[in-house]
Amino acid sequence: MKAPTRILVTSAIAAALSGSVFALPAQADFAGQTIEVIVPFAPGGATDVAARFLEKYLERHLEGNPDVVVENRAGGGSILGANWFQANAQPDGRTILFTTSSTANPYVLGQPEVEYDLATYRVAYGLPFGSVTYVSATTGIETIEDFANAEGLIYGGIGAAASDLPTLLSFEVFGVDVTAALGFTGRGPIRLAFERGETNLDFQFTPVYMTQVADTVEAGSAVALMSGGYMAADGNMTDRDPAVPDLPSVYEAYVELHGEEPSGVEWEAYNAMAALTLAFGLTAYLHPDTPEEIIALYADAVERINADPEFQQEAAEVVGGYSLTSPSDAEGPLRAALQPSDVVRNYLINLLSEKYDVEFQ
Amino acid sequence: MDHAIAALGELFEPMRLVALFAGMIAGMVFGMLPGLGGVAAVSIMLPFIFLFDELGGLTLLLGAIAVVYTSDTITSVLLGAPGSPASAPTAIEGHAMAKRGEASTALGLGFLASMLGGVVGAITLALAIPVAGPIVLALGTPELLMFALVGLYFASSMVGKDLAVGLLAGCFGLLLGTIGPAPAAANYRFTFGQPYLLDGLSLTIVALGLFAIAEVIGMLAGGGGISSKRQISTDWTSAFAAFWKHKWLALRGAIIGTFGGFVPAVGANASTWVAYGDAMRSAKDKSKFGKGEPRGIAAAEGANNATVISDLVPTLLFSVPGGPAAAIFLGALFSFGFYPGPRLVSEQPTLLYLIVWSVALASIVGAAICFAVTPLMARLTQVRFALIAAPLLLIMVAGAYQATQSLGDIAVLLVLGMVGWYMKHAGWPRAPVLVGFVLATPVEQYFWLANQIHGWSWLLRPGVLIIAALILFPILFRLITRLKPKGLEAISESASLQEGDDRSSTVSVSRLALALIAVAVFGYAAYEAAGFRANARLLPMLAIVPGLALALFILVREVWNLIRNHGGLVLDARDEYPVALVLLVYGLGIALVGLNLATSAFLLFVLLYFARMRLLGAVLYAAILIAGINGMFMLMRLRPPGGYLVTLNVI
Repeated sequence: MKAPTRILVTSAIAAALSGSVFALPAQADFAGQTIEVIVPFAPGGATDVAARFLEKYLERHLEGNPDVVVENRAGGGSILGANWFQANAQPDGRTILFTTSSTANPYVLGQPEVEYDLATYRVAYGLPFGSVTYVSATTGIETIEDFANAEGLIYGGIGAAASDLPTLLSFEVFGVDVTAALGFTGRGPIRLAFERGETNLDFQFTPVYMTQVADTVEAGSAVALMSGGYMAADGNMTDRDPAVPDLPSVYEAYVELHGEEPSGVEWEAYNAMAALTLAFGLTAYLHPDTPEEIIALYADAVERINADPEFQQEAAEVVGGYSLTSPSDAEGPLRAALQPSDVVRNYLINLLSEKYDVEFQ
Repeated sequence: MDHAIAALGELFEPMRLVALFAGMIAGMVFGMLPGLGGVAAVSIMLPFIFLFDELGGLTLLLGAIAVVYTSDTITSVLLGAPGSPASAPTAIEGHAMAKRGEASTALGLGFLASMLGGVVGAITLALAIPVAGPIVLALGTPELLMFALVGLYFASSMVGKDLAVGLLAGCFGLLLGTIGPAPAAANYRFTFGQPYLLDGLSLTIVALGLFAIAEVIGMLAGGGGISSKRQISTDWTSAFAAFWKHKWLALRGAIIGTFGGFVPAVGANASTWVAYGDAMRSAKDKSKFGKGEPRGIAAAEGANNATVISDLVPTLLFSVPGGPAAAIFLGALFSFGFYPGPRLVSEQPTLLYLIVWSVALASIVGAAICFAVTPLMARLTQVRFALIAAPLLLIMVAGAYQATQSLGDIAVLLVLGMVGWYMKHAGWPRAPVLVGFVLATPVEQYFWLANQIHGWSWLLRPGVLIIAALILFPILFRLITRLKPKGLEAISESASLQEGDDRSSTVSVSRLALALIAVAVFGYAAYEAAGFRANARLLPMLAIVPGLALALFILVREVWNLIRNHGGLVLDARDEYPVALVLLVYGLGIALVGLNLATSAFLLFVLLYFARMRLLGAVLYAAILIAGINGMFMLMRLRPPGGYLVTLNVI
């Protein structure tokens, strides 16, 4: 609650209309209730599309078939919506914050406008993202070794502290020198700049890669290098991405090149930020004090949704074919990634400030 | 061709026509409501697309997208409040015409130009899809930068008779546009620690604040109608005549608008201003602009409808939305499993032509419906104005609030509203503020991207040189013609003419106050900008340095006039001050006791005191309005803003 002085004046009509005022605190199901999914971005974006895509499956598979409603609260690069959630969500499982690394990165980096304590939140469900890094054929790069030794690479991005961060960190892992042109308004315009030849190194998330870029790779005008990876059982981003099984992950590409595992602060930073951006690409957060019974309702629903043949078929088209992540699998690694060691955090803050001119006053 | 006919057959499935029509109704209503434009209409329709099959769902959205910029003409002309930001030029020219009793000419011209723009957009869409790919790919970041500069140059023709004030207004717009994140260095500028400002200001709110609030204040204080001749004739002959006279101008506007749509991030707002500036530059007699010039309406309305439709070209070709409404449409395409791109265009030609037919049909039928409903709408102008102003203000507040659902929206609306109100009375032009605001982001973003990618070599790219010639040749041409003695005479003649009707010799409170505010704002901005990183400082400084100098110059000039002029200070628009105060109190009230309580008190006060209604009538009317606004919030699935002390919400 915001202020202790706050009085909620609610008339009898209000109670009758909304029907939610006298709801019981703990319940075995969501029958007759409304679940609000807060999307802290404008309608039409990737997060909004995914949230609305999941709407009907949650309604179908959550115990009690609640009404699921997506609400957009855009602003402050998702910080406004997340701050609102922090101030208004109740531990009843009926308000969900569905968001991306745009909310997690400012939290990890300690941006002053952040009022939400993301690492204390519970997780309802998640949907991983995959990413593919590719270069223009004009660079002459064909192998990972060519890439590691390349010069004159120009990468287009939105902002160093945004979803570009893991990819920029992967360049650090390989020690490759890249000119980053940051300030684009979205990954779409960046792809256009790549097609125009203004940039020659890019990454796209897997659904876009498969529908928009894969053709050009097949035609030979672009060369796919590696995927961002997929989270292994131990919580590290070392597995191959099942959506693009022909491509090595950043981890595998490094092992292939150097004959040893990547290590050091660069890799640790990559591992944490890739987990936040990719493995927990889209995460549905709940109030920190949400009771276990309610978390269990979501865990059951995730299991049923993943088994729903209609979901399997549509997910392949809409969200890249990944299954939903269950709360029990997600929380441990997610909290670890949200609270990296001081060494990693200081490395990130230094890198952003010195190389990319990013500073949170 | 077969595909085109097949698509027409698909569209004439009854349910799809129902969808298209429903979308059009929503689009028209939202176009008329100031502050709620295409984005709001399309987002509200979004949950309903799944009621139809995939093609029907898409036509629902297309119906809404195609007509928003047609019906916004009605509000702009009749009330002087832009129905959507892109119709601000129409609000300037059309409302001035309405005050002269030429409302039906302005409206009809606007509808017809809108229809032409829509049809040109649809034809372009059909023709361009196969060939537009190379054009879009030929425009690199340096070329996009040059287009933004062309826009700024055209804007310079709008500064009006007082050059210093006009340029200062443009600088102020640029400065407003730099609030929020810097594109080249992740430096947040002028945010005062408010998360609300992290994204910068919303164009809708800036446009409403600058233009609409001033009108509402005037309406509440004046109480009178817009035109001394209150009858709005339904005889459209003069409108058709005006359209026929300016058909080439409307077509030129439509073509400018179409190109604006090709380029992602140059929205309907920018291309509308470019078309308006182009109409102004090409007119022989520029002095009528701003005072009810039909040319301005023809160009602007032709442009905004064409843009919103050709925004779909990059959307369908590259999955890159051309504008905000197109972004939502793209989301809908995704959720039906359509992935736009060159492949979609070759594999799903029927879908493509269905889109073309939908927007073409909606543009034509939409204009026809606008003609049909105008007599109804025109009756509004015979109602006491305070009665219209109250719901108008409520809708604007709700429209402002729905964007981010933070009280910051309402605060910015009211603060800029006060600035716009003062500017209106001081005779400071408001259009350059909006243009500067719209173009600040693309200019800065593309400048830094061009430099990061190409170094300074971008200056020598052929595209850049060609576009630069578009700016330089007219300047050279004008210089040469001005050097001729005849030109000089004409200039001095028009200058002396303007001196006559100008009030620059008397000093009003609003002029003095604005000069003081400008010095304070630019002074503070200079102080804060000194601490920015170099990459984040360049554009703000381009606005601040001339802005501060101009503001000081104007302040000195006003003070000098005050000393020289024995008439002393004139308090202009004396009767409007109480209204402005009431509005500010209302804003404060929303923050403290929430929208519903504050609005009840505000409405009762306004209806009893300004509109002089009887108690029973006022209570009934206020109750209806409150119910209406709550219904609107419910429709948008939002809760009305609550207060810090008390919240009274029924939903």
